[in-house]
Formats: sequence, C-alpha cells, structure tokens
Amino acid sequence: MTYVKRKKLIFSVLMYFVAIPLTILLGVVLFNDRQYSIISIIIAGLACLPFFIRFEKSNASSREIIVIATMTALAVVGRIVFMALPGFKPVTAIVIITAIAFGKDAGFLTGSMSALVSNIYYGQGPWTPFQMLAWGFIGFLAGMIFYKKEKPNMILLIVVGIIGGVIFSLMMDVWTVLALDGAFTMSRYLIAISTSTPFMVLYSASNAAFLALFTKPILEKLNRIKVKYKVFTA
Amino acid sequence: MGGANSMKYFHNCHPVVMFSYLIGVIFITMFTMNPIFIGISFLCSISFTFMLFGAKETVKSLLLAMPMIIIIALTNPLFVHKGETVLFFLNNNPMTLEAMIYGLFAALMLVSVFYWFKCYNRLMTSDKFIYLFGQVIPKLALMLSMMLNFVPKFIKQFKAVDESQKAMGIYSGSSYTDKIKCKFRVLSSLITWSLENSIETADSMKARGYGLKGRTSYSVFPWKTSDKLLMSYFGVMIIIVTVGLFTGYADFDYYPKITRMSFEIIPILLYFGGFILMFTSTIMEIKENMLWHYLKSKI
Repeated sequence: MTYVKRKKLIFSVLMYFVAIPLTILLGVVLFNDRQYSIISIIIAGLACLPFFIRFEKSNASSREIIVIATMTALAVVGRIVFMALPGFKPVTAIVIITAIAFGKDAGFLTGSMSALVSNIYYGQGPWTPFQMLAWGFIGFLAGMIFYKKEKPNMILLIVVGIIGGVIFSLMMDVWTVLALDGAFTMSRYLIAISTSTPFMVLYSASNAAFLALFTKPILEKLNRIKVKYKVFTA
Repeated sequence: MGGANSMKYFHNCHPVVMFSYLIGVIFITMFTMNPIFIGISFLCSISFTFMLFGAKETVKSLLLAMPMIIIIALTNPLFVHKGETVLFFLNNNPMTLEAMIYGLFAALMLVSVFYWFKCYNRLMTSDKFIYLFGQVIPKLALMLSMMLNFVPKFIKQFKAVDESQKAMGIYSGSSYTDKIKCKFRVLSSLITWSLENSIETADSMKARGYGLKGRTSYSVFPWKTSDKLLMSYFGVMIIIVTVGLFTGYADFDYYPKITRMSFEIIPILLYFGGFILMFTSTIMEIKENMLWHYLKSKI
C-alpha cells in the first residue's frame, strides 16, 4: 500500500496532539473532571481514526482489501468456533500473524475490524471502541516489530503474544473503572485487575501457545499468497 | 402489547433517523449523573426494550441486572471514602451513604446504557450499518460487508471440514490439547481455502469494474416525509437537552454532600424534555402496535 505520506502525517499529528488533548480539556471544563467514561470512548474512537482515514485514502487493490477482510473474518470465526474451549481465543494470534506477513497497517485494520465484527455477533456496546483500539494496537505493534520476517524470533514473538493479552486486559479494566467511577481511581483499578487476572493469565497463555505452535504454518500460507498474488508487496 | 412478533416502527424508519436517535440518547445518558435524568433514561430504555423484545426477555434481563446494580451500590463505599454521612467504619475506612447512592446511580446509568445498546443491536442490522457508512468510508464499508458475508460462510465450511474429519476418525483423543490440535488442523485448512477463494472474488470484482469512477449504488431505504419530520424532531430535542445539560441546570453533586434537588422551572422543563425525547421511541412502537392490531381486527 502506498500512501499520500506527508498529508497523512500532518493529520495524525493533528489528531494525536490537538484533537485528543482538546477532548480531554473538554472533559475537564464541561464535565467538571467527572465524566471520563464518555470522553474515553471519544478518545478511543479518535485514536483509531488516522488508520481508517489512511486506509480510505490509500490505493489498496481489491485483492488487498479482500485479504484483510478474509483474515478478519477468520479471526472472528476463530473466536466463535473455539468457544467450546474456554479461554482459548485465537483472535490476538491471528491479528499478530497477519501483521507479520502484511505489515502494521494491515495489522491495525485486522485487529480493530475483528473487534467491530465480532461484536456484531456478541453485542456492540460502549466497550467496542476500546476493543477496536486495543486489538488494533496489538496488530500495529506486531507489524512494527516483525514485518517481513520469514522466521520471526520465537521468544520475542511469544513475549509479544503475552504482552498483547496483558495490554488487552489492562485496557478493558481502565474502561471498567471509568464506566463505574466517571474518573480514574487507582483503588478500583487494582480491584478490577485482580478480578480479571485469571482471564488475563489464561488469555496470555493461550496467545503464547497459539503463536508458538501455529505461527509457522499460517505464516507460510500468508507468504505464499503474498508471492503468488502480489499483495502487500509495495 | 409488546411482544417480539408484531411490526416495529423503528425497523422501517430510515437508518439515519434510528442511528442518530439511539446514539443521541446513549450520549445524553452518559453525559449526566443527575439522578432524575438517569431514572428517566432507565425507565425509558426498559420500556423500549419491552416493546422490542417482549415481556419475557425484558424480565429475564432485569433479573440479571438487578443484583448487579445492588452489588455495585453496596460495594462502592469500599472504593470511595468521600462523603459526609458516615454509616460505619470498616478497617478504619469510613463507609458513607453518599458513596452508596453514587454507586446506585452509576450502576443505573450503566444498565440503561446496556439496555439502549440492546435495542441498538436489535434495530441496527448490518445492512443498515453498511448503508450508513458506505458513503463516508466506502472501502471500510465494503470490507465490512465482505466480512459479514465471510463469517457465516467460513463457519459453514469449518463445520463441513470438522465433521468429515470426525467421520474419518482423525480426531484423536478427548484431552484439551488434542481438541485444540484437531480444531487447529481444521482452521488451517479453512485458511488456505478461504484465502484462495477470496482472491478469486477480488479478481471477479475487478473484472466487473469495482472502484471505477461514476458508479452508483442502489439504496433500499427511502427518505420519507415521516423520516424528515421525525429526524428534525429528534435533532431539535437532542440539541435542546444537550445544551440544557451543558448550561449546568441539571448539575448534581454527590460529594461531599448530596445536592438538594431543585424544582425550579428550567430544570423541570429539562427533565420533561429528556423524558419526551427518550419515551418517544416507546410511544412510536405502541402506536404501531395499535395500528397493527386495528388492521388485523379488520381482516
């Protein structure tokens, strides 16, 4: 994917250094520093926006669009078909592997769209923008570190998988606290973390296991598609 | 009245109207911690849920929500020690009445947002969602519509492969790791199949001129007069209520001491406006139901 780079950079900078601080200021002034739940939802949405706009402005081919759509659908299907095995959700792993093969932008899109689409099945809610941002960010991070590596460093990859699980859990806990208290309180955050720790551990472990076992076969398939059909080669 | 089977007004109104209404109402609910506003939103969200889902579903979800509300209200003093009215001390920490009441209304606010979203999920079908965003974000909307096509297709294929593998006796043990291994083998075959297939779809799209300039698309959602009227009504009401909330007439403090409710003319008008706005959805459905039963009785 090639982009209008300069324009895009200015937009991202504006978004991250002007729009988001303005939103926070709005929260302080208009809501007397109290209603951060709504502010945080807006911020999570704004943070996703530059990636989506970049994708809209790019001249991504129909093949590239459809490959991202397929990977996202696979991540969602993974979440649904593995439902019988508690705690084992391959979404994060599929997002990370997609990012390794196709780059950070494809990773962000796959991650955030997986959240949006799987919530069509599990129910949308105020948490949707958070999940979109969290999974998108994990994809982006993986793309930054591993892009184009035929054989990614397994230990580093597992570490990223574990961190991915932890990031996802910690970010969703922030949302829980904001939703209840309106503002961020450390004591509530610690309680939220402690109640979600078992899930976090299970989730991170399943990410690590999935990545350790299945990165190679899936990555081979994706790289084959990449070479055979010339997608994401730019 | 109610019931899940009769006609729904909001199913037939224009997606833009329905989307703006629900998002507006959800935002207003989250804007404020004013107990009266939250109470209004809570009641209206439940009545709308009742109209869309019927009594059984509503009662069932309320039975789940009520304990949650009570637990949040009772545990909030454990986290927040602000407030003047100390009820008792626990581990040298004051448990205050204010914190408990705040917890109650925070929980009610959350539950009302959940109920509005429940209605949103019922009304906002994926075709409407894609119609709404297809103009603004064509590529992402196209991607979204493809995903929504792929997901059931992939699940079907997954089941087909899964069952044939089971029939062939390839599934080895019944332990957790064995299950994962077998499921992964199916997923792996699904990945190859789906990627190859989807590339074919992409080429076919390209051959038919996808992305060329000047292509139009067909819309199944007519912009009726009733939609225009309803949209302007919702727009005006949402703006009035939001501005009213911003001007601080409905400000409410829980700490250190709970504000006394003011019953002056402006706050009361504001509550009334909020009620009218949030109750409109229920009224529309009641009206539609009555019309439905009336027409049915004539057959």
